[in-house]
Amino acid sequence: MQRRTAFACIVVALLALVLLAGCVAVPPPQQPVAKPSPAGGKIILRVGTGDSGEGLSPHQEIISRFEKANPDVLVQLEAVAGQDYYTRLLTQIAAKRPPDVMQIGDDAVPMFVEKDALHVLDDCLKQPPGLDTGIYLPGLPQPGQWQSKQWLLPKDYSPLGVYYNKKIFDQHKVPYPKDGWTWDDLLATAKALTKDTSGDGKTDLWGIQLPATWTSGFEYWVDAAGGRLISEDGKKFAGFMDSPEVQSALKFYSDLYNVNKVAPPPADLAMFGGGNTEFDNGKAAMRIFGRWPESGYKKNPNIDLGVVGPPAGKQRANVLFWGGFGVASGSENPDAACRFLKFYTGKEGAEVWKDWALPAVKSVAESSGVTKDPIEGVWIDELSHLKPRAYVSSPYWGQSGDPALRKALETMLVMPGSDVAVVLKQAAQEAQTALDEQLAGQK
Amino acid sequence: MPQSRPFLTRSRREAITFYLTISPWLIGFLAFTLVPMVVALCLGFTRWDLLTAPRWIGPDNFARLGRDPLFWQSLKVTTIYTVAYVPAELIGGLALALLVNQRVRGVGIFRTVFYLPSVLAGVAYVVLWMWIFNPQGGLLNTLLGYVGIEGPRWLIDPRWALPALLLMTFWGWGRAMVIYLAGLQGIPPELYEAAALDGAGAAGRFRYVTLPMLSPTILFALILSVISTFQTFTSAFVATNGGPLNATLFYVLYIYRLGFQFLRMGYAAALSWVLFVIVLVLTLLVFRTGRFWVYYEGKRD
Repeated sequence: MQRRTAFACIVVALLALVLLAGCVAVPPPQQPVAKPSPAGGKIILRVGTGDSGEGLSPHQEIISRFEKANPDVLVQLEAVAGQDYYTRLLTQIAAKRPPDVMQIGDDAVPMFVEKDALHVLDDCLKQPPGLDTGIYLPGLPQPGQWQSKQWLLPKDYSPLGVYYNKKIFDQHKVPYPKDGWTWDDLLATAKALTKDTSGDGKTDLWGIQLPATWTSGFEYWVDAAGGRLISEDGKKFAGFMDSPEVQSALKFYSDLYNVNKVAPPPADLAMFGGGNTEFDNGKAAMRIFGRWPESGYKKNPNIDLGVVGPPAGKQRANVLFWGGFGVASGSENPDAACRFLKFYTGKEGAEVWKDWALPAVKSVAESSGVTKDPIEGVWIDELSHLKPRAYVSSPYWGQSGDPALRKALETMLVMPGSDVAVVLKQAAQEAQTALDEQLAGQK
Repeated sequence: MPQSRPFLTRSRREAITFYLTISPWLIGFLAFTLVPMVVALCLGFTRWDLLTAPRWIGPDNFARLGRDPLFWQSLKVTTIYTVAYVPAELIGGLALALLVNQRVRGVGIFRTVFYLPSVLAGVAYVVLWMWIFNPQGGLLNTLLGYVGIEGPRWLIDPRWALPALLLMTFWGWGRAMVIYLAGLQGIPPELYEAAALDGAGAAGRFRYVTLPMLSPTILFALILSVISTFQTFTSAFVATNGGPLNATLFYVLYIYRLGFQFLRMGYAAALSWVLFVIVLVLTLLVFRTGRFWVYYEGKRD
């Protein structure tokens, strides 16, 4: 009996100890991180990227050029594809072992900056060899800025564009869309190219493939309608997300699906862009999207590709999707990281990038001829029509406005006939509740 | 003269051997289960965005649960799924096991075929099913079209998304089948012979021999099934991402979203502890009911 009591006591004491240790450990002790053993006295830089597959080739090429020019540094590329990248990055930051140089996407910038995960680049840009952000094409340094300081430099980017398949246009004798076209032109063109060619009562050819519930892509429609989703001070959704302008944008967009039926219904809402393949298969005449699938389209035998800027609604507008590189505030070698960053995002890196994606550095874009190219030039021109994205107004956009807007888009697409005003009013309320909670929690 | 006792008595030596032998598990359990669980419990009382130090906020996270519509939605989705899935797997797995327990030529092939889907990696399996459910030209709707039925839009219809996810799980019955098959093979044939001699038909043998003898296996499979169903994540994460309109927002998916997408790790930790308690209570309940229907051969009364 006594033994049992003793045993129970020990167990309870152990548990209490573990419990205590667990709670005490909650703000983890600032333990000095063991420096990675230098490989032959070299500085080891870790670079985190969310790119994968073929997308890693330019990284590797730039890294090998950098290592040749900087024999004292060894660069390790840590690639984790897609959504998992942020999961891993956050875990690494929480464990105080972030990569020295890390890739961050546009809408995540304010959050990472606000939480002190990044090193401000002011000094880095000044240190020789200095880097002047004026070398970039217009609109490209801005997504890397927060509260008028530069935190990241551009890696790659894309505005929206409208792809069109000249084959389909020629076959049905419809004129190609022209720069400066409008929403009315878009609707007329799409209607002219939506057809039931086999006569079975089902549409076989669609006017335009749309990106379903992609919220950041939808911001273009809001901007073109002259609206905004959140107040400039980042505190209010009511009166913005449910404003007449946003209503008209959502109505026009969802009517393309439900009323005018010129857009193929989404195939997969969980997939980025709606999972449709009609444009790829030559069954949709147009598609509004970023530049990402372009190289595939150029090789696709179903497609004779043309690209034009998105049409103007009340005004001309476009939105930018952007990935940049910054230096982690926890980096042990901020100077080497800065050197690498400038090499990567500067002229040297752009010379490699230009073969894979649009270069961010203006002189490289010009010398490589992309600014004059009938297709690539469109993307570059669109940079002069950019409107600020909603995340710029609040670091909590991703937790408040974005899910609410997504739900509104989903509602309009899966329950055709829903009232735009009602749907957006509810979205604005949900977004406001989530935002208020976040703001209250910060106090 | 008092008997001299060696320092290491037999029982002490045995104890030391025991702890040494079990230490890999013990260390693993402490480092990767107990400590993380305790830390998670503590985090449940904090506000933590992963990037800056956690802040103690007391029971706020737990108080918030009641007002969080998505918590209730995720609990509802997960419960409906569990209530539908667990009995289906039990009956389906048992039926398959009974079928492949026959002494027929080539039964090994069937066992392999039925078990095969369980070997597939989760994501690959789900992606395959996404093709089957694709509303435009997917296999299922094409087949339904042949018999004149216009199939629903499955994964993108809020009414059909959860049933679709349930439908794709019948591929997992192979896992339960293997467990039941092992149980069936352990039933001594003389019991069946004796029952047959006493005049029991096939149904009688199943009811009075197979079921009682298999009941411990059923209990085991049932508990595993309840626990794993409450942790459903992959199918919803890959196929629907919780949508459309949160129709497939599973509990664990919601935890993941809160923790890693909305950076509310404290609240996510609180939610995971609530899940732990729910699963614990359910498991205990199933165990308790086991008293009434599980027959242990070793325990005679």
